[in-house]
Amino acid sequence: MAYFPIPTGSLLALGAILFCIGLYGALTKRNLIIVLVSVELMLNAANINLVVFSRLGLNPGLNGQVFALFTITVAAAEIAVGLALLLAVFRLRKTSDVNDLNENKN
Amino acid sequence: MLAYLNGGMVVFYLLSVCILACAVLLINLRKVIYMALALGGIFLGCAAVYFLVGAEFVGVAQLLVYAGAITILIMFAIMLTNHEAMEPALRWTWRQVAAAAAAVLLCAVLLWTIRSTVWPPSPADVDLNQGNSNPVAVGIMLFRDYAVPFELVSLLLIVGLVGAVILARERKEEDE
Amino acid sequence: MVAYAWLVPLLPLAAYVFLLVLGRRAPEGVAAGVSVVCSLASFLVSAAVFRAAASQGPVGPYLFHWLTLGSASISFGFEVTRLNALMILVVSLVSTLVLLYSAGYMHGDERFPVFYQYLNLFVFSMLALVLSPNLLQLYIFWEMVGLCSYLLVGFWYFKPEAALAAKKSFIVTRIGDTGLLIGIVLLYWASGSFDYSTVFAAAGAGQWSLGWVSGQELTTLCALLVFLGAVGKSAQFPLHVWLPDAMEGPTPVSALIHAATMVAAGVYLVARCYPLFQASPGALATVAWIGAITALLAALIALTQRDIKRVIAYSTVSQLGYMMLALGVGAYAYGVFHLMTHAFFKALLFLAAGSVIHAVDTQDLFEMGGLYRKLPLTAWTFLAGALALAGVVPFAGFWSKDDILAAALNTGHPVLWGMLLLAAFCTAFYIFRVYFLVFTGAPRQPERWQHAHEGSWVMTLPLLVLAAMATIAGFFNSPLNGDGLEHFLFADSPQHQIGYTAPENVPLMLLSLLVALLGIGLAAAVYWRPRQSQRPERWARAWGPFYTLSYRKFYLDEVYYAALVYTGKGIAAVVDWIDRYVIDALVRVVGRLVYSVSVLLKFSQTGQVQAYSTVAALGVLVLVAWAMLRAGGVH
Repeated sequence: MAYFPIPTGSLLALGAILFCIGLYGALTKRNLIIVLVSVELMLNAANINLVVFSRLGLNPGLNGQVFALFTITVAAAEIAVGLALLLAVFRLRKTSDVNDLNENKN
Repeated sequence: MLAYLNGGMVVFYLLSVCILACAVLLINLRKVIYMALALGGIFLGCAAVYFLVGAEFVGVAQLLVYAGAITILIMFAIMLTNHEAMEPALRWTWRQVAAAAAAVLLCAVLLWTIRSTVWPPSPADVDLNQGNSNPVAVGIMLFRDYAVPFELVSLLLIVGLVGAVILARERKEEDE
Repeated sequence: MVAYAWLVPLLPLAAYVFLLVLGRRAPEGVAAGVSVVCSLASFLVSAAVFRAAASQGPVGPYLFHWLTLGSASISFGFEVTRLNALMILVVSLVSTLVLLYSAGYMHGDERFPVFYQYLNLFVFSMLALVLSPNLLQLYIFWEMVGLCSYLLVGFWYFKPEAALAAKKSFIVTRIGDTGLLIGIVLLYWASGSFDYSTVFAAAGAGQWSLGWVSGQELTTLCALLVFLGAVGKSAQFPLHVWLPDAMEGPTPVSALIHAATMVAAGVYLVARCYPLFQASPGALATVAWIGAITALLAALIALTQRDIKRVIAYSTVSQLGYMMLALGVGAYAYGVFHLMTHAFFKALLFLAAGSVIHAVDTQDLFEMGGLYRKLPLTAWTFLAGALALAGVVPFAGFWSKDDILAAALNTGHPVLWGMLLLAAFCTAFYIFRVYFLVFTGAPRQPERWQHAHEGSWVMTLPLLVLAAMATIAGFFNSPLNGDGLEHFLFADSPQHQIGYTAPENVPLMLLSLLVALLGIGLAAAVYWRPRQSQRPERWARAWGPFYTLSYRKFYLDEVYYAALVYTGKGIAAVVDWIDRYVIDALVRVVGRLVYSVSVLLKFSQTGQVQAYSTVAALGVLVLVAWAMLRAGGVH
């Protein structure tokens, strides 16, 4: 596919905004699934940055893209384990609310 | 400013608006299942952005893994748990304020930094793929330069798979 | 022969080690037999050494290098002077007899072998103390005899009084020991040596290597500190209070340690350090006055005590006072002479008292009586000891006590002489009070009297030997013998004269004999065949407050209790207050501080991962901002 010269700053800005939205979600959402989702969002933002930076730098190349691939793989593994944990916890506690999983109460 | 405007950029900005809209929806929707749908939108948009910047293989992987597998997995998880769960209405507790402040300020700092940094112009004449198509170039890179990390990642996936199965398995009474 | 003097203390040590190895299950016969044989051998060696010393004069110390402190070298070893040749002879003889006697007295005690272990350890320590060639070694054995005294006084530790008495004796003598240690260290500091000869040479010349105090004052100070040690060990006023309480120990212990040997170690110490005291008239005067006060005070207390052993214990304190006074007025030879005679007759009195106690199983004088018919041998030997103590011619005490009295008067101390004469009167009275109460009259408790009987030969043989010694020991320094002991002792000194000797004074002799007979007569009038008007109870009532004062030992224990215990409690209360309200308060303030900070910090520990992550995110924000602004991220 053809290459369209998109300003680097705009791409990075997209990544930064996505990252911060993900951060906010991860910090505030009550549902454990949504927290995981927000974390995925942050990972995605990081991926965008990786792909963008693979064009820049002293030696433009594919390293950034390969890194993004690795990140995607690790994220897949993470979400799988995370969701499995969530299911286990849900079976035990009948809830997926983060606040209800607090062991430090009383 | 208009001089820089080309087709790709128009598409990019439209995509960006879509992605950010989905992200805002994700944060603001209250039904969990709708949130998952918004997440799918974000993943699709990101995949498109990868195509735009010439990273076709990453884009395809994004489509397959994120938009396909992960979104579906999350939906399954929602269905298996209390799928009618609602996020409570927004209340400005101290924690909410602190989290919002952290997010907004971090965003401001990052944007300001991006804005004030002079980025080198994108070298249009450099062929990142060195004559091959992008998937071929990525493939060569993966198996030549990153063979060991690649294998390690496959190992990680196996471990993740097994671990997920063990964790999510229904506990029988007899296995303590 | 003198070169083998080291055998003298070593034989009891060997017996001690042997018994230690055998343990507490050793048969009584073996324990006693080994001990008696060893100390008898020790006595025979002592006798040989004594003979050799008599013909040779003092033999220089046999020294071995022990350790080097800086430039100074400390040695250990032994020396034989005529003084300590006499001492080892007396100590080993009395020890042998007491060890033999104990076999009968302690028969059936379940810790019999342990008793013999302690006794052997004591005999070793005492002999080694006497043979020590320097002050440091003397101090080591000085402490060891104190330790043995503690162990033996508290031998029947299951009796609370015995345990308390053991502690008291240890603590009270400690006061003196501390003084002695300071004195020894001071002498070492000033003269650079522990050796007697070096120290005495420096004292004689008044040349000390300390600049901050004049030679004369330092000499006096050191002499007084050394004397403090002697005061503690020899139970002199004001530290005499431990000795009567130490009577809680078994009677053979009282005879050996608290009459004949260990308490005499204080007198020996002053005698051994005599050149130091001679260099300081003030110290000598102190010794004399302390001795006289002790002699009179203890004699007055002994008048009214009900416990047979306590009477004899106060008598010991009193007689030790005589010895100190003799040394204090300069009559060196008479002090040592009285030490020797006293060792014999006082050990005899204690052993005889032990025989009585063994027979009637009580120590209260007013529960005895009429025992002459049951214990004739004990009665006769006790009488010999009592006559010696009272100073009736020709028994041992007469010669030595008379010499001391004459010396006190001739050296110009009429007040001290008067005190001693009064004490002599009291002595004759109280010892014959004991004699009459125990052996004459009707039995006060017939059932006790009924089954009283003499001990076996192991108990009577020592009594007989000591009775013989108490009878004849006085002749060693009598005019009949040409004052043999004086000449013997004086050979230690290059001038062939140490201190003062009094010429014979027949009127004085008659006077003191008269005083003694008066005391005996009064005791007989009150306690032997009392008429109705002179019964003891009436006497006691007639003397009223004086009787109580004497019976309560001049309230010295109470005074010490008030002075020391209440002072201690007061200091403790102050310290307690400081501890409670200053130190603890600081601790509490620190604790309260930490507590309040943690109460605040508690709210940060919500247990919610998201809250923690929020803080982490804010931290990341700060780091990123700092990196951007400071680390040159922004151009």
